[in-house]
Amino acid sequence: MALVWVALLLAACRGQEDAWQRVQETGVLKVGLDPTYPPFEAADANGVFGLDVDLANALAVDLGVQTEFVLFGYDGLYDALATGQVDVLISALVVAPERTKDFAYSTPYFNAGEILIVRQDEENIVRMEDLHGRTLAVELGALGHVEATSWAKRLPTLTIVPYQTADEALTAVTNHEADAALVDAISGRLFLRQTDGLKRTAVPITVEPFAIVTRIADRQLLEQINRSLTALENNGQLDEITQQWLGK
Amino acid sequence: MFWVFLLVLLLTRPPTPVIVSLGPPQTVYSEHPIVGVHTRLTDEVEEWKIKRSLQMVRQMGAGWIVEFFPWAYYHAVDGGIAWGRPDMIIGHAHTQGLQVIARIGLTPEWARPSDTPLTYLDETAYDDFAEFAARFAERYHGRVSHMIIGNEPNLSYEWGYRLTTPDDYASLLEVVYPAIKAANPNMVVLAGALAPTLEPAGSPWGLNDLEYLAQLYEAGAADYFDGLAVHAYGLTFPATADPAPDILNFRRVELVRQVMEEYGDADTKIYITETGWNDHPRWTMAVRPALRIQYTLDAFAYAEENWPYVEMMALWVLRFPAPTRSFMDYYTLVTPEFVTKPIYTAVQEYTGN
Repeated sequence: MALVWVALLLAACRGQEDAWQRVQETGVLKVGLDPTYPPFEAADANGVFGLDVDLANALAVDLGVQTEFVLFGYDGLYDALATGQVDVLISALVVAPERTKDFAYSTPYFNAGEILIVRQDEENIVRMEDLHGRTLAVELGALGHVEATSWAKRLPTLTIVPYQTADEALTAVTNHEADAALVDAISGRLFLRQTDGLKRTAVPITVEPFAIVTRIADRQLLEQINRSLTALENNGQLDEITQQWLGK
Repeated sequence: MFWVFLLVLLLTRPPTPVIVSLGPPQTVYSEHPIVGVHTRLTDEVEEWKIKRSLQMVRQMGAGWIVEFFPWAYYHAVDGGIAWGRPDMIIGHAHTQGLQVIARIGLTPEWARPSDTPLTYLDETAYDDFAEFAARFAERYHGRVSHMIIGNEPNLSYEWGYRLTTPDDYASLLEVVYPAIKAANPNMVVLAGALAPTLEPAGSPWGLNDLEYLAQLYEAGAADYFDGLAVHAYGLTFPATADPAPDILNFRRVELVRQVMEEYGDADTKIYITETGWNDHPRWTMAVRPALRIQYTLDAFAYAEENWPYVEMMALWVLRFPAPTRSFMDYYTLVTPEFVTKPIYTAVQEYTGN
């Protein structure tokens, strides 16, 4: 009977153990992602690929384990983590303060917020305040459009021109129809990668941080991931991965 | 010592409550009276935000709101009903000149078996639900014009995670309808709102809306509703895309209408109590923001031109009190901070405001 109690006690303790213990024991980090968001994650016949996949693999190398990718629909990601089907989510997820009762977020690894894109020779536009009397291209209805509309209240001489897509807004800057474009960092950087003559300004206009998600109880795992992220940032690997998929 | 006492007093006293008045009566100006919007004010805590939301509905030129009034929140086991919240919401809506379609549902704990979800409502509680519905209809005579009985009864999730049966819903209508009419003969009672779905018979998730509606008529429900509420989401299709029984798109409403006509119910109006497109950057059922705007305006124009039987269309959804951090945020017209999105402005211009 005592043996049964010991076994039950051990099982109970095991149920509460930090996921990091299990990751170490098995040598596998189970990563949940939704492979429908290129260039962060996508899938084909050969498997999954993208920025988040490369980041997960780099983290795993640093942690001394291997990755196992488990695919879910976007809306099922958090449930998959909550029910222990995966150890972490690395899937271009924005930090959501409302979820922090159950989940913890790593140090952000990418800011997907709005950025300003200007022509290469433009030296006077760095931030929104510099757009007095200027023309700003935006994607109609997108968050950049909402942000620009808010700024227009403070900058009455700002002219906002909406375009059907982010690419059209950025082309307008190339064609001198607009002085700058306010678009999300992903659209902006992908466009810059294939177009000469434009640059992004140094200061992001809004913040939309992508981070890795763990269960709230897995503190050790989160610590390990943050430590690895810092290492990847310091040795330039994070930058390298980001640039590989999104350009400079 | 006195100063310390004063400081403690100042620091610990509760904040002065914000006094919100109804304000003067307003009227909605709209060149397209079909335009409405679904609000989510039941979840909103602060009264000034409720008032602000409803002002923004009026300023957008939407003459209708659809709002949810959960039975479970108000009706106590001793029969008492806490009218404070609905009084506040309906009072502000009425002052803004808005026509209110009230959706009622969610069963109080005392009216359902233990360990059942809020959406569980069986025949043992139909009379209790009817009593609440009747008292609601009576209280808001002249301020609420329409009531929807339940929500998406063709989904098992909305039916207490049970197999959805049109027979059960028909029985519910048979009990609730006469109770409402006895309390307030002017109240327009809407059945539904049916969720667009392709689920086959026997599915644990729900039942195809067209099939469900046909069975509802077979069950003799036609005498127990004055209008039919439907949900019509466009998903990734343009507003004018042709309907088909195996496709979920905006014009599925025409297939619903066909069923109504087949059962001799052509005089009954349709109310589209949820519609719209989503512009989440990564949800597979979303479109780009510019397309969302275009499809939304096309939908209003198409309905006005081609669907004389559609009384109103409510966009899902004006605003949430807080971000959901999911694709649902990308159905909204206004952010939680009351910043209007360009789609709000587009609808506002469309209505001539």
